[in-house]
Amino acid sequence: MAKVLQVRDLAIGYDGDVLLEEIAFDVQRGEVYAILGGSGCGKSTLLRTLIGLQPPLHGRVHFTGIGPPARAMTPPAFGVLFQSSALFGSSTLLQNVLLPLRKWTDLPVDAAIAVAMGRLRLVGLEPFAHHLPAEVSGGMRKRAAIARALALDAPILFFDEPSAGLDPITSAELDELIVTLSRTLMVTIVLVTHELPSIMRTADQCIMLDRAAGGVIARGAPRDLAERSVDARVQAFFRRQPLARTP
Amino acid sequence: MPASTTKSTAFTLTRAPDRGSHLRLAGHLSLDEGAALWRQFEAALREIGAGDVNVDVAGVESLDGGAAALLAAGVAQHRVRGGDVSFVGAGRETARLLALYDCARGGPCERPWPRQPGLLTDIGSFTYVAVDTTRAILAFIGDLVVGVVQAARSPRTVHFADLGSLIERAGADGIPIVLLINFLIGAILGLQGAIQLHRFGGDPFLANLVGLSVVRELGPLMTAILVTGRSGAAYAAELGTMTVNEEIDALRTLGQDPQRFLVFPRVVALVFVVPILTVLGDLVGSLGGLAIAVTYLEQPSTVYLQALQRAVHLGDVATGLLKSVAFAVAIALIACQRGLATRGGAAGVGRSTTSAVVVVLFMLVALDAVFTWVFSLLGW
Repeated sequence: MAKVLQVRDLAIGYDGDVLLEEIAFDVQRGEVYAILGGSGCGKSTLLRTLIGLQPPLHGRVHFTGIGPPARAMTPPAFGVLFQSSALFGSSTLLQNVLLPLRKWTDLPVDAAIAVAMGRLRLVGLEPFAHHLPAEVSGGMRKRAAIARALALDAPILFFDEPSAGLDPITSAELDELIVTLSRTLMVTIVLVTHELPSIMRTADQCIMLDRAAGGVIARGAPRDLAERSVDARVQAFFRRQPLARTP
Repeated sequence: MPASTTKSTAFTLTRAPDRGSHLRLAGHLSLDEGAALWRQFEAALREIGAGDVNVDVAGVESLDGGAAALLAAGVAQHRVRGGDVSFVGAGRETARLLALYDCARGGPCERPWPRQPGLLTDIGSFTYVAVDTTRAILAFIGDLVVGVVQAARSPRTVHFADLGSLIERAGADGIPIVLLINFLIGAILGLQGAIQLHRFGGDPFLANLVGLSVVRELGPLMTAILVTGRSGAAYAAELGTMTVNEEIDALRTLGQDPQRFLVFPRVVALVFVVPILTVLGDLVGSLGGLAIAVTYLEQPSTVYLQALQRAVHLGDVATGLLKSVAFAVAIALIACQRGLATRGGAAGVGRSTTSAVVVVLFMLVALDAVFTWVFSLLGW
């Protein structure tokens, strides 16, 4: 499979203070790649750096064949699902999905609506197309945000904590959608999460970050890490156990 | 008979007339070519009419989600016309994508666009909202009165920790703009009055005109309008944001009454601050008149000031201050009520802030009219 994202020698942080460094990994086309780690370990900061919202302290992020992130005059090379969904509250779900289509395609209005409705149908929200985000549940907002991220058929989607705050059933439905997108549309998905059931259901590969170690402490298929890793931190994460502290 | 072919840069759509309703799609179908695909596919299906159509997609080399959604929508429209569309010869990837966006999944694709409400509906909705808002404000005031009684019994339940910063933000921070606007209002009133009075030899009465107008009417009103714009809007937005962020619910779960925790301090702050700002506004407004008297009418300043002293009595200042207290209560109560009634995210905060400012401005003018009428009846 072809690589679509290469990260090399990346250091991230704020105001020159290094949070994580020597981060390197490759993501293949059609893969669900999870970035794991405990709360506050820098997962979301890494995601912001990958999508170009925050400059790296050093190192590089390379999107193979689709140019650098966040270029001003070209459609975005990737779609993003933010943790809070980040739908525009004054626009209906349909209008939210239409936004990138109207901005970046020359589709006539009826065709753009047809595409947007198709995206909403894909995530099971067609009947709610004319609702405002405030009028639907948290899980539905997440799915609408996925429909918006999908609008332009971006080859890569970045999901920040997609299951955060959702009930187990909604969370499982969202996981199923992620797998469908990956397997059927061959969309590459990079997802930041610490929800173990979601990781096991969706991720093909993962890296685990650790704040104290200042970088990546494990990489591989989640099931392999869970069953074979000898690293106490990895074991503690996958077994949901507190890490034994040295006095 | 030759087949009719519509060719785009990346795909072709062919119709063979001798085979009736048979279309052939080939090439790369993507959202980039979406406009052409939509136009051609729609036109071809419309031309065929209500019959069943077979679309041969064996020659499709790639298909993305956007193009699949467009084909699905075209199929749905054709079904509305009474026909059906079957895709034949699809490869594995193409078939999976077409199935994913198929309109048969979860109901029809085409849904009616919500109808725009008519004029009568608009009038009805406006009336309903006006009545509902008035009822909500009255209920809020009722709750507040109950709260005042409870607070009087146990004053420690009122959250006065923020009172200092509220007074500073509404009062001290607002002084420059209140001084500037009131000075300009006094000067504008003075200039308009001076032009007219000068024609009739009424120069000595400029202080009466400016002084009484500013102290009794314009000073309190303009100051209240400025406080509405600064503090009223801020209160509505602040409480509105707290409401949509569930901070108000959190307060309730902590056993705190939002009125005593958030509304009382704001009412007290404005009741304390607005009369002081009004007095300052009265002073500089009168000075605006003095500036015109000196520069335009070339009066000695002592003449204007002595006339002002004779014209404006303590009772005039008191009526203005009485109004300012009522204005302060109206601004704080309405702004807080609108803020706490916010629903629906960021847009809701915008709506409640706008609503707060509009309702307060209306109430200020209405209250001013009532006060002026009552004062004239009482001979004040």
